Amino acid sequence: MSTLQFLVDGFAIAFQWQNLLFALVGVIIGTAVGVLPGIGPMSGVALLIPVTATITAGLPTEAAATSSIILLAGVYYGAMYGGSTTSILLNTPGESSSVVTTLDGYQMAKQGRAGSALSIAAIGSFCAGVVALLGLILLANPLSKLALKFGPAEYFSLMLLGLAAVSGLAGRSITKALIMTALGLMLGTVGIDAVSGIERFTFGQPMLFSGIEFLTIAVGLFALGEVFKTILEKDEEDGQIAKINRVLPTKQDLKDSAVPIARGSLLGFFIGVLPGAGATLASFFSYITEKKFSKTPEQFGKGHIAGVAGPESANNAASGGAMIPLLTLGIPGSGTTAILMGALIMYNIQPGPLLFEEHPQVAWGLIASMFIGNLMLLALNMPLVRIFAKIIETPKKYLLPIIIAISIFGVYAVQFATFDLYLLLACGVLGYLFAKNDYPVAPLVLALVLGPMIENNMRRALTISNGDFSIFVSKPLSLTFLVVAISWLLIPLFMKMRGKNVLINEEG
Amino acid sequence: MNHTFDKVFSIILLTLSILFVFQATQISDSAYGSTVGPKIFPLCLGIILGLLSLQLFYESWKNAVKERITGGPTTSSKISSTELKKFLIILGSALAYVFFLEKIGYMITTFLFLCISFQMMERSKLIYSIIIAAGFSLGVYYVFTGLLGGSLPSFPTF
Repeated sequence: MSTLQFLVDGFAIAFQWQNLLFALVGVIIGTAVGVLPGIGPMSGVALLIPVTATITAGLPTEAAATSSIILLAGVYYGAMYGGSTTSILLNTPGESSSVVTTLDGYQMAKQGRAGSALSIAAIGSFCAGVVALLGLILLANPLSKLALKFGPAEYFSLMLLGLAAVSGLAGRSITKALIMTALGLMLGTVGIDAVSGIERFTFGQPMLFSGIEFLTIAVGLFALGEVFKTILEKDEEDGQIAKINRVLPTKQDLKDSAVPIARGSLLGFFIGVLPGAGATLASFFSYITEKKFSKTPEQFGKGHIAGVAGPESANNAASGGAMIPLLTLGIPGSGTTAILMGALIMYNIQPGPLLFEEHPQVAWGLIASMFIGNLMLLALNMPLVRIFAKIIETPKKYLLPIIIAISIFGVYAVQFATFDLYLLLACGVLGYLFAKNDYPVAPLVLALVLGPMIENNMRRALTISNGDFSIFVSKPLSLTFLVVAISWLLIPLFMKMRGKNVLINEEG
Repeated sequence: MNHTFDKVFSIILLTLSILFVFQATQISDSAYGSTVGPKIFPLCLGIILGLLSLQLFYESWKNAVKERITGGPTTSSKISSTELKKFLIILGSALAYVFFLEKIGYMITTFLFLCISFQMMERSKLIYSIIIAAGFSLGVYYVFTGLLGGSLPSFPTF
């Protein structure tokens, strides 16, 4: 079957009523998550995995996986969009990828153009989503065909590259990022070894035989960590919510933002495909580019619409682009995609080149639903912007304890063990301490997801070569990946030594 | 930045990595005579973590010295004692919640946990707290067990 045929089938799946509903719910929850301060896309997706797992429990595995991944992906890009709402209205970014939007977005809101800023952000996000979708359709087949030629050695090196890329760009200190990666990999070795059946680091505890559950760690570190942080560090709420007068943008606004949207989408998409470089970098780059290309660069920072249109398109395109390495190579490039991958693995569906062969309905259903989800996002956000802006006012008094209760419920509903709940609370405290002391959490989760696969591929490769480690450098592709991985870690280090500022990606 | 945390954490990590390496050497070799057993990967990881923790210790020590010389920012933690007390009570009640969850059931524990933490967050309008807590715990329980066919510990087992 041709790609087109698969795509049509994908749309048929995405248009099933329950999947339409899932996409809609995902997008709405995602937008709410993005708007609410304190929960970012990562914790939003992590929190909803157990909820979707229970909702889809009655469906056959593959359909359940498709439906829940549709919902989770909806949360992901919904949150990317929702983050911009608070940036524009309150001057407080909902997550790090919309920090740049505050520069011009809030200025526009002050001038009474909040409505146009918000709707341009929605239109830009939509266009970016479409660009990312086209890219995904074009690249999915060739990339997964290429990846099918990989042997275990190539896979091992490619996964190391993924880890190196995320660690190299996360946080201020590479040492700390690498420590988190190593901790994640170590956590991944707990449990019964899949190859030999020998128990490792279980200390005879039956709870540990199946390994440490990724879901517990992710919800604890991200969701609870952020909740604890908000409880402990009461931030001053001084921002006044700007009024929204007119929702539709003027013709002039549309004309001014058409080119930035196109540029931002393309730029964001390619940055998103690169592992490690996520939406935050994409939006920064786009802002810089727009300023460079603009005829009136002095207007930036004073409410220039291009300063909203470009970065907003870029961060959404990047989140779409990040799906490509996840779906075709099975390698998540950011924290959020690592969580999505963990969710797929929970359903026993392994993302990677075989995904398109073995589970085409999951892959193409997701791709098609991303298009529908983006359409819904546009349709919802234009009329509902005012309502979403109201969500900001949810009192923290009720919100935070309820997030704790949802985390506990969710983990218990999937794991049925109080052991995991204690682990969850411990991870929450650790998540807060890590974040407070600049230890990036995303590499840990990524390493926990990738760890067992890295080990298996390493051992397979070494078995082929009879224990000779040179197999990783004697194969040209594997060597290339390793060289890129090492340079990804070393180049920022060199740049720091020469006193240059290195852009970092705080949250994927 | 808090260098004390980094220093303490690096020592914890070093201990952890030594224990990890020691435990890894205890893993029995795989039954078939493959050269790459289940030991190698954890062994490598333990050694890498050990080296990284030394590096972290060195970095935090160097930064602490640098700051002492320049008299740079010695930011103390900004957490006030009231916030910390609030957090500890919420964390404590969360622990109690988990401890009693399977013993006296989901609804009662969730309701109590939410009431306590709502009131801890801000002491006002007890009636709203009770209504929201009751709504959440009953709602989640009945939607989950009734509509979705899941199971949760319902009522006290004694």
